[in-house]
Amino acid sequence: MFITDIRKEFYDVVTNQRVALLVAADIDAVCACKILQVLFHCDQVQYTLVPVAGWQDLSTAFLEHKEQFQYFVLLNCGANVDLLEMLQPDDDSVFFICDTHRPVDVVNVYNDSQIKLLIKQDDDLGVPSYDEIFRDDEEDGDSGNESDEGSEPSGKRRRFEEGAVERRIERQRAKREWEGRRREILFDYEQYEYHGTSAAMMLFELAWVLTKDTKDMLWWAVIGLTDQWVHDKITHMKYVTDVATMQRHVSRHNHRNEDEENSLSIDCMRISFEYDLRLTLYQHWSLYESICNSCYTSCHFKLWTLNGQKKLQEFLADMGLPLKQVRQKFHSMDMAIKGNLRDVIEESSNKYGMKDIRVQTFGVHFGFKNRFLASDMVHATAALLESTEKDDSASDNFLKALDSLSRGNLDRLHLGIDLAKKKLMAIQQTVASCICTNLIVSQGPFLYCYLMEGTPDVKLFSKPMALILLCKYLLKAFVHSTRNKRCKLLPLVMAAPKDVEKGSVIVVGIPPESETSDKKNFFGRAFEKAAESTSSRTLHDHFDTSIIELKTEDRSKFLDALITLLS
Amino acid sequence: DPLTLHSSAKAEGRSDLIASIKLRHCCLLRNQRCVTAYLYDRLLRIRALRWEYGSVLPANVRFHMCAEEVQWFSQYKKSLASFMRSLGGGEGLDITQDMKPPKSLYIEVRCLKDHGEFEIDDGTVILLKKNSQHFLPRWKCEQLIRQGVLEHVMS
Repeated sequence: MFITDIRKEFYDVVTNQRVALLVAADIDAVCACKILQVLFHCDQVQYTLVPVAGWQDLSTAFLEHKEQFQYFVLLNCGANVDLLEMLQPDDDSVFFICDTHRPVDVVNVYNDSQIKLLIKQDDDLGVPSYDEIFRDDEEDGDSGNESDEGSEPSGKRRRFEEGAVERRIERQRAKREWEGRRREILFDYEQYEYHGTSAAMMLFELAWVLTKDTKDMLWWAVIGLTDQWVHDKITHMKYVTDVATMQRHVSRHNHRNEDEENSLSIDCMRISFEYDLRLTLYQHWSLYESICNSCYTSCHFKLWTLNGQKKLQEFLADMGLPLKQVRQKFHSMDMAIKGNLRDVIEESSNKYGMKDIRVQTFGVHFGFKNRFLASDMVHATAALLESTEKDDSASDNFLKALDSLSRGNLDRLHLGIDLAKKKLMAIQQTVASCICTNLIVSQGPFLYCYLMEGTPDVKLFSKPMALILLCKYLLKAFVHSTRNKRCKLLPLVMAAPKDVEKGSVIVVGIPPESETSDKKNFFGRAFEKAAESTSSRTLHDHFDTSIIELKTEDRSKFLDALITLLS
Repeated sequence: DPLTLHSSAKAEGRSDLIASIKLRHCCLLRNQRCVTAYLYDRLLRIRALRWEYGSVLPANVRFHMCAEEVQWFSQYKKSLASFMRSLGGGEGLDITQDMKPPKSLYIEVRCLKDHGEFEIDDGTVILLKKNSQHFLPRWKCEQLIRQGVLEHVMS
């Protein structure tokens, strides 16, 4: 069931209890986790935090902890599947689910006792009404009895029997009709996968209701929202609306330090609304490298072509930025140039067809040298979360990413930024090589691309978030470079080797690229059906159903099944 | 005994041996000093073990101690215990707790290795698995932090 009063129905319930926190491995979940941890520290709620990477981890964690905990809080996992069926808990376990995955499974919506959803009911859900999917089957029992009774033949009885039989047939027909409608409704409801309001934002609202919100929590909520935008999980409209909500909170916090007499020290944290450039990590890199490695600029200029490189040089010349300045680290650029850089870039971008080079976002500033944009933090933390350096396990990386969000761990954050730079450069190079060697093939209903094992940096792309980012950039680049109008509207399926020893690949599917895309992804169900029909050995472990693991040998038959299914 | 050796050497007219007797004696004295210093250092470390591990030493530590050292340890334990009992107006005070001034009642700890189940005061059991984080009462965690099973996370 949906929770209406988050304070009474969630927070007050867990305050005097011990809670198990099961957190998924994405940035929004990590931010939500940090906010909740601070709230729990304030009120001394004892908890245990377990990072979970997929459904198997979730089940294992539940089994290990179900004896000791009654209350489980799930962050960014658990809403889109029948949780009670999967975990088979005892009757007194209660699950609080704060998840952005949609659609929410109907059993989770209509269970009143054990599943509590920390999701806003107006969040564009479209849940079918109760009567359309659940039905009390009492009539079956009656029709059964009647058939038993009508065994002795007599005139009156026979007429009664006939009437009974007719009614039974009518009831069965109505039931079949209802079941048919139910299947249709559920199919429509569960067909497309998409994302709702950020979990970090939901928990920030909880903190606000409790008046325990701090600037740190606000910053984490902003990062959670920005993660949804960077990884293309929400529509632009929703992003803008949510930014406006966050902006109200930011102004509220900023009003506290506008007093001239009590101005804040430079070490305190300041969050500001920025209408900043869409150049990834530009303040921590050189401007030139950032332009080359940001998806938006790279795709518009087509920087993998010689022509594109020339255009870039023209663009820089047009703005009057000397190459020497632009290739320097951003911090060391001339102050005069940095001053009105954003406006200069915006003006020139308009001339080159890039109308949205600026985007609404937030920045933080504490100490003399620490300035970060929300997207910088997202990229840094994502790189840490999916780091392939050393042999760290997934939970090691999760904890490192969790640490990097605290302001005291700046060296970890800078490490994350370096890893993010490497990741972005790897993505750009892979995109360039895929486009130049025509690795993207149209299979009819979708585009397909397979990264071979020897590809440089292919280890980076064995991780889901990195692969999805590559996928999205690749699709954008493809749409900009191809002349085939039909291909521009196709979705993309991408496969990359995941574990060479075990012989498995990771397969992801993303919806087609368009300005008004609603980001709804049908590949989850499609992959399931294709795997079933060919009995391919797949693992649907990830919380996003459009990401699966597949045995390399089954790749071609799986693909064929997918093509047939979607044509 | 070097003195008797010395005098007997003089008596027998072997005064050329006196220097080597003296040298040998000095060497023996030096070795004795070294061994004593080593044994004393061991005692100091064993004393520190009481503060680190508590009153029951793990088996692998006891394995490396000789019987006399074990006896010394239990006597040290006894005198420390009687001292602690005498504090606080006869009620006793455990001074091996809170070695650093505590900042809060509960702390956040991260589990560094699999330790299995751990029971806290109200009877509830916590599973300490590698890379899980817990928010627990401070006094329960101190022992495990010192042993290196848990790590205090400060944010």
